[in-house]
Amino acid sequence: MFSYLIRRVISAVILLLIVSAVTFGIFFLLPKIAGQTTDQLAQQYIGKSPTPADIAAVKRNLGLDKPVYEQYWEFLKGIFTGVDYKFGPEAARCHVPCFGYSFKTHIEVWPEIQSRLPVTLSLALGAAVVWLVSGITTGVISALRPGSLFDRLSMGVALAGVSLPMFFTGAIALALFTYQWPIFERSDYVPLFDNPLLWARTLVLPWVTLAFLYSALYARLTRAGMLETLSEDYIRTARAKGLGERTVVVRHGLRAALTPLITVFGMDLGLLLGGALITEQVFSLQGVGAFAVQAITANDLPNILGVTLLAAFFIVLCNLVVDVLYAAVDPRVRLS
Amino acid sequence: MRRSVPVAAIAAITSAGLLAGCTGGAGSTASGKANAATEGIVNASDAKGGTVTYAMSDAPESFDPGNTYYAFVYNFSRLYARSLTTFKPGPGPKGNEIVPDLAESKGKSSDGGKTWTYKLRKGVKYDDGTDVTSQDVKYAVERSNFARDTLSLGPNYFQQFLKDNDGGGYKGPYKDKSKAGLKSIETPDDHTIVFHLKKALAEFDQLVSAPQTAPVPQAKDKGADYTRSVVSSGSYKFQDYQEGKQLTLVRNPHWSAKTDPLRKQLPDKIVLKLKVAQSTIDKDLLAGNTTVDLAGKGVDAQTQAQLLTDAKEKGNTDNALGQRLNYLSIDTKVKPFDKLACRQAVEYAVDKKAVQTSLGGPIRGDIASTVLPTDIPGYEKFDLYPQKYSGDNLDLTEAKKKWTECGAGNVSTTILARSDRQEEVDAATSVISSLKKLGITAKIQQYPSSKYFSDYAGVPTFNKKNNVGLIMMQWGADFPTGYGYLQQILNGKAISSSGNVNLSETDDPEINKLLDSAVADPDKAGREKAYAEIDKKAMSQALMVPLTYFKVLNYRSPKATNMVATSAYSGQYDYLNIGVKK
Amino acid sequence: MTAPIETTGAAARTQPEAVLKGVEGKRIEGRSLGRIALLRFRRDKVAVAGAIVVILLIAVAALSRPLQALLGLDPDSPNQSLIDPNTTLPKGDLGGMSGDHPLGVDPKFGRDLLARVLEGSWVSLIVAFGATVLSVAIGTVMGVIAGFYRGRVDAVISRLMDVFLAFPLLLFAIAISASLQGGAFGLTGLPLHLSVLIFVIGFFNWPYMGRIVRAQTLSLREREFVDAARGMGARGPFILFRELLPNLVGPIVVYSTLLIPSNILFEAALSFLGVGIQPPQASWGGMLNQAVKYYEVDPQYMLVPGLAIFVTVLAFNLLGDGLRDALDPRGGR
Repeated sequence: MFSYLIRRVISAVILLLIVSAVTFGIFFLLPKIAGQTTDQLAQQYIGKSPTPADIAAVKRNLGLDKPVYEQYWEFLKGIFTGVDYKFGPEAARCHVPCFGYSFKTHIEVWPEIQSRLPVTLSLALGAAVVWLVSGITTGVISALRPGSLFDRLSMGVALAGVSLPMFFTGAIALALFTYQWPIFERSDYVPLFDNPLLWARTLVLPWVTLAFLYSALYARLTRAGMLETLSEDYIRTARAKGLGERTVVVRHGLRAALTPLITVFGMDLGLLLGGALITEQVFSLQGVGAFAVQAITANDLPNILGVTLLAAFFIVLCNLVVDVLYAAVDPRVRLS
Repeated sequence: MRRSVPVAAIAAITSAGLLAGCTGGAGSTASGKANAATEGIVNASDAKGGTVTYAMSDAPESFDPGNTYYAFVYNFSRLYARSLTTFKPGPGPKGNEIVPDLAESKGKSSDGGKTWTYKLRKGVKYDDGTDVTSQDVKYAVERSNFARDTLSLGPNYFQQFLKDNDGGGYKGPYKDKSKAGLKSIETPDDHTIVFHLKKALAEFDQLVSAPQTAPVPQAKDKGADYTRSVVSSGSYKFQDYQEGKQLTLVRNPHWSAKTDPLRKQLPDKIVLKLKVAQSTIDKDLLAGNTTVDLAGKGVDAQTQAQLLTDAKEKGNTDNALGQRLNYLSIDTKVKPFDKLACRQAVEYAVDKKAVQTSLGGPIRGDIASTVLPTDIPGYEKFDLYPQKYSGDNLDLTEAKKKWTECGAGNVSTTILARSDRQEEVDAATSVISSLKKLGITAKIQQYPSSKYFSDYAGVPTFNKKNNVGLIMMQWGADFPTGYGYLQQILNGKAISSSGNVNLSETDDPEINKLLDSAVADPDKAGREKAYAEIDKKAMSQALMVPLTYFKVLNYRSPKATNMVATSAYSGQYDYLNIGVKK
Repeated sequence: MTAPIETTGAAARTQPEAVLKGVEGKRIEGRSLGRIALLRFRRDKVAVAGAIVVILLIAVAALSRPLQALLGLDPDSPNQSLIDPNTTLPKGDLGGMSGDHPLGVDPKFGRDLLARVLEGSWVSLIVAFGATVLSVAIGTVMGVIAGFYRGRVDAVISRLMDVFLAFPLLLFAIAISASLQGGAFGLTGLPLHLSVLIFVIGFFNWPYMGRIVRAQTLSLREREFVDAARGMGARGPFILFRELLPNLVGPIVVYSTLLIPSNILFEAALSFLGVGIQPPQASWGGMLNQAVKYYEVDPQYMLVPGLAIFVTVLAFNLLGDGLRDALDPRGGR
């Protein structure tokens, strides 16, 4: 198990390195594809009417005059060793993990992202809880009474749920529950430990919006998985042994039906930043997603890079966790 | 052009609408009158105490007075940074009056307007109790204008106007550690500062109203990080700054009313909340929990519709002029608009009423016919291309006549607009359908504002190559005079190969000459007459189609005192002396 | 992933009946898998309804421009007289609905919403189809190669898929489309936006297809009929094209049908975020982008593009589910 773990961690790190290199390369190339010269790129990061000397100084300062591999190496080094940079009278330290500093504001990227992480994590994890609970419950009940009114109704809703764009449901939720019937006032994010109640109340609508799509998906997956499991021989055996229906369903059926969900859940959780981004836009939450959007609008490369790598890191991490969990559950995986 | 809108504003990438609506003034009996703060100071008061709360949906990149270009930071920074001169709080165009602030009096010019001398008030202290000196003012100008790889956000007027050091040029205080620094600023003693300009500038007093002349003690400068610990020379000082979250200002104990005839230091505390959702800001404004929306961009379309239909709340709104113009620039170097008649046809054909609606209706600006906005000194009313409407339809007789004279027939052209400014795209859309009726097929091309001037609209070769005949534009003055406004958009010498804002690419010797002579003219009335003349010349050549004189609809909290909407800061309230009622 | 209506209804009983039908027929000779699937599919009423809606939608989208001309609609022509200049909202109730404008008009311009939804339909579908074709093409080629040649080739391709799957797709899509909005590859305007959208949506999505095809290929190449072909002396390419590919068509079709709705949502999301199709060109996501700003004062506007997206995506999902059940009666993933 231990050697398997080591192998998986090493390959995850390599994967991240490749992703970071490709990301860096793409964002380095994009302005060139769009036909932008380095001078024009540098000019974006100065105020108006810059002199050629200003442009040259900015290019040097941002490292834009160096070849791409050198820029990448500097960037990579910074993450592990930190960087001293000179913007002003004395050198300032960009601490580990240093993802560089914004081209526009010269503010370090990592603290900016860090300060927004609680919002996005609250949103994502809360939504995950909502969809796991509602999705799996619905799926199980439906599977136990296939063809019942509940089953038909909930599966109908689930089908609609996977067909609705998140930004549309979010806007409808806003229109209905903040304006038409103001049950949930719109307000800004409140940190969990400042006021748990307000924290939850602010996030209810975003959670439900984000979770809606996933609950629908999970309800359908759980239902299909349960139906398949319940028709297996060993369930019949369990029933024949005289085990109570509850034990059969929960101990034998559910466990087998939910194992594949781990994989799906891991992948969805890793990719959740995307969904969170849209939800944050709709509900004007100042999370990492909103930060990404602002960085992209302002064309602030280090900020874009930082947030992209963070997102990639989450994906790889979640996949790693899933793999390890699977290996723990199923020894065959370790050996292959 | 000073920006009133944050660059990183997520306008393109929309955040959903605003405000939970007409819940009334939370029981307050606001006896407000609509637009009261555009006519006088509302709730004038000397009552001290309380907390004034500002809120903003974004966060400016910096609060450093030497590293900013936002009108609202210019406005707000005066609470903790005193520039040599500033604007006296006053309604609308009356807010344009320049008064001495850190300086004892306005500047004394000699050498035909090329040398300007200011005497600093005595006894002005920083929040740590040390004295403000003229060397600190000099240092502030040096760092903000000559170290643009570090402090990149502000404009560089001083770099453009001040004489440079001989040989090689001055590289800014971070690289050039020599004692003399920039030689064209002299500080003969601690309270005197002398500026030597390349050429005469009668409006130098206006230029030094920028927060870039607010003193910065060299020992406390931390470059771009100075925003975290600005040393105050004003009536309030930084108590606590949490980046992207909150800035708290408290009274500067070393500030004295004796050295400051302008500031009143009313509230005990000033809190600025950052990155608050716009919906929350508006809700809090209406409920009285927030005093002022810092950005002062006005409410959005949805809130506008709600406020205007609520008779009571309407009384708490100010529809203020913002000293800027929305216009459609016509590129005189791109066919067929190199011909005067073709441009004139466009002047007649653009349905300004429809464009006005697409820009947000009359609340967001009156229909314009001149280059100068109405609230800039020198503005004269005239309309060379009067439009006639029958019902909602624009009469195109004159336009068609000119278009025939122009002889271009059916043409296609490209119109540029900024993708992250929804209003601009909407206005361009409206222009396109107007021009269709003349036989001009215009295709819209959108670019993000961060690259608009550096890569696209501001690159003449780009426009020529891509058949860009029309360019959407909004322009406001960095200092509220005809020169500050006209110089960059009409001066033939200001055309540059990239970052250009003279979008019509006009290089008219008469206009150039008028600009040069006006700015050297010490007589104010003479200057203003010249600006009006330039305006008429530009319009007679049909260099641009003025669309609307930009206005904002701001909500005036009934709890706030000393509220006055000033033209000098894009129609925002003047933040110098806002207090709260008990 | 099966809907109740299908498994508990007709679909659950289809297989034996289909076989029986074959027996009743004149010839006992086994029906092809495709025929059986078709029979099964026709029994699934919900899926058939989905298919009909999909066909209608495609027809509408393809004929969008002629249809507009026929109905005298113009998605770009403003009607200032229908707009209250002070609020910039449509005059009258329900977002300006009237006989002339059955779905109402948009704020600020008074453009007909029916015309704009019609115009938006072809944009949505062309992007979704284009992106699907792109990812299916790359995914199939890579998946078949990996599954067929196995070994080192498979290892390389599988790692490549891992790398692609580790990219935060939406972020990449936003960043790339935002950077290339102005102009690139000599394209500008609508053609550029369409190609960029097709590229970013399609290109990063192929590994999902790739994994499915690879798994199918791996299992197919071990099956008896492949062994038989090999035993008869067939070589690699022959087996690949004659034996494997025909058997991969089923899963590919099913997966493509399910990929289209998710691509429609993706395109709408990008346009909603302001980096997809740019106004004044009508697109569903773009309309929603504009409409959500008025969710309190003109909520009807938001419903028009929102429901258009919903109906389209739902129809494709129903069709896709039905096809899968028909081709693989055991269902599930």
